[in-house]
Amino acid sequence: MTLDVNTKAVVKNAYRITKHRGKTALRIRIPGGYLKAKHFDLLKEIAEVYGDGIVHLTTRQGFEISGIDYSSIPKVNSLINPLLQDLEIDIGVIIKDTSNGYPSAGTRNIAACIGNRVCPFANYNTTALAQRIEKEIYPNDYHVKVALTGCPNDCIKSRMNDFGIVGMVEPQYDYQRCIGCEACVKNCKSNVTGALSLHKGKVKRDARRCIGCGECILKCPTAAWTRNPVKFYDILIMGRTGKKNPRIAEEFIQWADEDVVIKVIKNTYRFIDEHIDKTLPKEHIGYIVDRTGYQVFRDKALEDIKLNPEARIAKNIQWGGFRYSSDVFMSDKLQ
Amino acid sequence: MNKNPLIPKPHKIIGINRETDLESTFRIEMDTAPVMGQFYMVSIPRIGEMPISISGIGQGWIDMTIRNVGKVSQAVHFLDMESTLFLRGPYGNGFCLEEFKGQHLVIAAGGSGIAPVRPIVEYYYNNQHEIDKLDLLFGFKTPDAIMFGKDIKRWKERFKTILTVDDACGIWDGECVGLITGYVKDIKLSEYDRMDVIIIGPPVMIKFTAAEFIKRGVSEERIIVSMERRMSCGLGKCGHCKIGEHYICLDGPVFRYNDAFKMID
Amino acid sequence: MGWKFTNTAFNDLFAGLTEDYIILAPKRFVNRGRFSDTDLIRYDEVKKSDDIIWKEKSTFSPKEAVFPVTQTLFYFTEEAFREPQPEEKQYLVFLRPCDINGIRRPDTINLKNGPEPDSYYANLRKRVRFVMIECTESFDNCFCVSMKSNITSDYDMAVRLTDDKVLLEIKNDDFLRYIRSDIPKIEFRPEFVLENKIKVNVPEVDEMPAGVYEHEMWNEYKSRCIACGRCNTTCVTCTCHTTNDIFYDDNSLAGERRRTWASCHVDGFTDMAGGISFRKDNGSRMRFKVLHKIYDYRKRFGEHMCVGCGRCDDNCPEYISYSGCINTLNKVIRETVS
Repeated sequence: MTLDVNTKAVVKNAYRITKHRGKTALRIRIPGGYLKAKHFDLLKEIAEVYGDGIVHLTTRQGFEISGIDYSSIPKVNSLINPLLQDLEIDIGVIIKDTSNGYPSAGTRNIAACIGNRVCPFANYNTTALAQRIEKEIYPNDYHVKVALTGCPNDCIKSRMNDFGIVGMVEPQYDYQRCIGCEACVKNCKSNVTGALSLHKGKVKRDARRCIGCGECILKCPTAAWTRNPVKFYDILIMGRTGKKNPRIAEEFIQWADEDVVIKVIKNTYRFIDEHIDKTLPKEHIGYIVDRTGYQVFRDKALEDIKLNPEARIAKNIQWGGFRYSSDVFMSDKLQ
Repeated sequence: MNKNPLIPKPHKIIGINRETDLESTFRIEMDTAPVMGQFYMVSIPRIGEMPISISGIGQGWIDMTIRNVGKVSQAVHFLDMESTLFLRGPYGNGFCLEEFKGQHLVIAAGGSGIAPVRPIVEYYYNNQHEIDKLDLLFGFKTPDAIMFGKDIKRWKERFKTILTVDDACGIWDGECVGLITGYVKDIKLSEYDRMDVIIIGPPVMIKFTAAEFIKRGVSEERIIVSMERRMSCGLGKCGHCKIGEHYICLDGPVFRYNDAFKMID
Repeated sequence: MGWKFTNTAFNDLFAGLTEDYIILAPKRFVNRGRFSDTDLIRYDEVKKSDDIIWKEKSTFSPKEAVFPVTQTLFYFTEEAFREPQPEEKQYLVFLRPCDINGIRRPDTINLKNGPEPDSYYANLRKRVRFVMIECTESFDNCFCVSMKSNITSDYDMAVRLTDDKVLLEIKNDDFLRYIRSDIPKIEFRPEFVLENKIKVNVPEVDEMPAGVYEHEMWNEYKSRCIACGRCNTTCVTCTCHTTNDIFYDDNSLAGERRRTWASCHVDGFTDMAGGISFRKDNGSRMRFKVLHKIYDYRKRFGEHMCVGCGRCDDNCPEYISYSGCINTLNKVIRETVS
């Protein structure tokens, strides 16, 4: 029987049109990369019974199960119901019909480093925030990539995403408790930005150089440096890979609180609504911002937001990035 | 309020004598006489405090020879005559001259280690009868580093004095060149309990010079050393100078070597 | 003599006590721990019983109550000195037996070592009273029993906390006046922990064999120890400090001399002007500290310095076990001797 597949519907359903005619591949969303081990049984079953026995680990912390017949899609969709339930519905995502698999695939899985559940450097619970953001933005067809990372080490490479959310902590200093051992000063100088200096036996912090990594708190032997219990975030925007001008994300708002993060991301979807080029099959958010300019994006992203007083907004952003230039780099002969 | 031993008292500088490029001797008004080998905590408020041993004792004054190598000592070197230095002390155990009565005493000093023994030599220079014999062995890095040159010349008249420099630098007209340890053999030793050896200098110099004397048969109990350590209080509290169960500021800085060599940093 | 309080009545007792005393006890600082979403527990002022953390060990010891991290010795303007205004406040410190025994070490150093007591320490210490928190079950890393610091009678009051009541023993009659007449009297004597999971064999030698100082057992700490100083800053018995002068940014003729805690593990502890320093490698710093805690101090003062509170092991970021090191040392000594 000849296959008659609506590729648009299949892709929206999180299946890929593969190079093998008749075979598709399903991408499992795992918000924040947080997966209970019990689900492996189901992934194994789908891969072995309906796929080619292989599970690929995607760069966005999902699983891609390949070699699935298009005809198996309904069956596989019913099988992944527990995954939708546990990974989406239970964290608050609204999916009207859970028997038909993923309702959309445009907004990509929210990737996150392991965060402060495990990592000593992380400044927040990346899993929890990934789930909160997932709830706010999924399902959605707009092509947006969000990645969360616990600290400026950026192990998740959030700077390659449309939104990179980097954990920041405000170190608070107890002058009396400081013994001037310089553990924080030396570390900040050699590993971070040199925001700390010794001044008359005590430590001075240059707030403009501090990136809120929290290493001083980790190093301090007397708890002279402690965490401000309020969590802050560095919102990096419009980093991307891709054929057209790949580039790393730049800082949009420093020292934003969690509500600001959520609201900025939600406003971004409204921005896309207003500015996306509807003549194209799809348009990535980064290229839309390229067309409108940063100021237009900024004004929309900040609309109706009451910023926390600590937040600092970029006046201007000049993304650099790479532009292919065959004429320069790809000459036939070395002269 | 005055009972607080950490509050220093002002003392006037009444003499400054440049010894080398780095070292100067400051004569400071002092109405009480310390014991030779003791030290004072010397400070300039705003800059800091440091332990300095006594390099001379006289009527109404003491000498302190200060090497311009740190924050505080540098500040002291900027002071002029009649300026005020702040002192507290004297602290620590000094030399017990009583023990040297009638003895053959050898003093070996390396570099600025000569400062704390200067009052002893000076004392025996004026009271030669109190001692059987005094031999002096002084070593400096270079001819330029020699301190108390005039004093040494004077002492030479009365005591056997060996003055050596590690490096002659082409300008040294003295007889001896090389490390002080090489000249230990030139000292004629007396019987075991008839002699005492004082060794003062950098830790390495003390170690190897003592080893030379011990090799030649001098027992550890007859060797006396003075140790220098970082100190913040001078009163047995700050802990910086502690080695083993000893606090250099309280139990020293002067030790018998049989105690000192067991003290491992 | 003992009294039995309900939790409410015990909180009421605090209302009375806080009129005359600043009460210092282990207190929780929510989300201020070293790592994100962890708490810091350290000594600080509490106003009511409920503010006290009874069931966890504080990261930092109560020595802060008697020995401030930073202390101004005097202020100077040109050539005039002035000591800080004498403080009159009375302090009541809630602490466990190991820490009560522990504070005897700073007492010894500051009040008995040297020609005269440290006047700053003495002045504060005499205004500090102890309430012993009964401790019958040890925490991780505790080895107070091995260090014979599990028992003390040096306290003004002792307290036992159960789910529904608080028992209080008063040894210092000055505190009787805070007890309301309706509080029932009972017989109460605190108990003490008699066994720890961790046992340490403290070498009891009169003379440390010379070979121990050079022994290869210290070499592993050369690379393992990062000289951060947490073992010293959390220790109840460490008292080393450094004196510093500072002048004010706005007027360099005025300033102060002050002292701050120092750590024998941290770089610079032995530095002298002119570039000489001792114990350059971290292995010899470990040796220095360990021998000080369980050998040198006893030689001078007759009891071991370490009280086995285990805070050094709780807090070492490199998982160096100090108690494990003592056990190794004990083995090395026995091998060296035999």
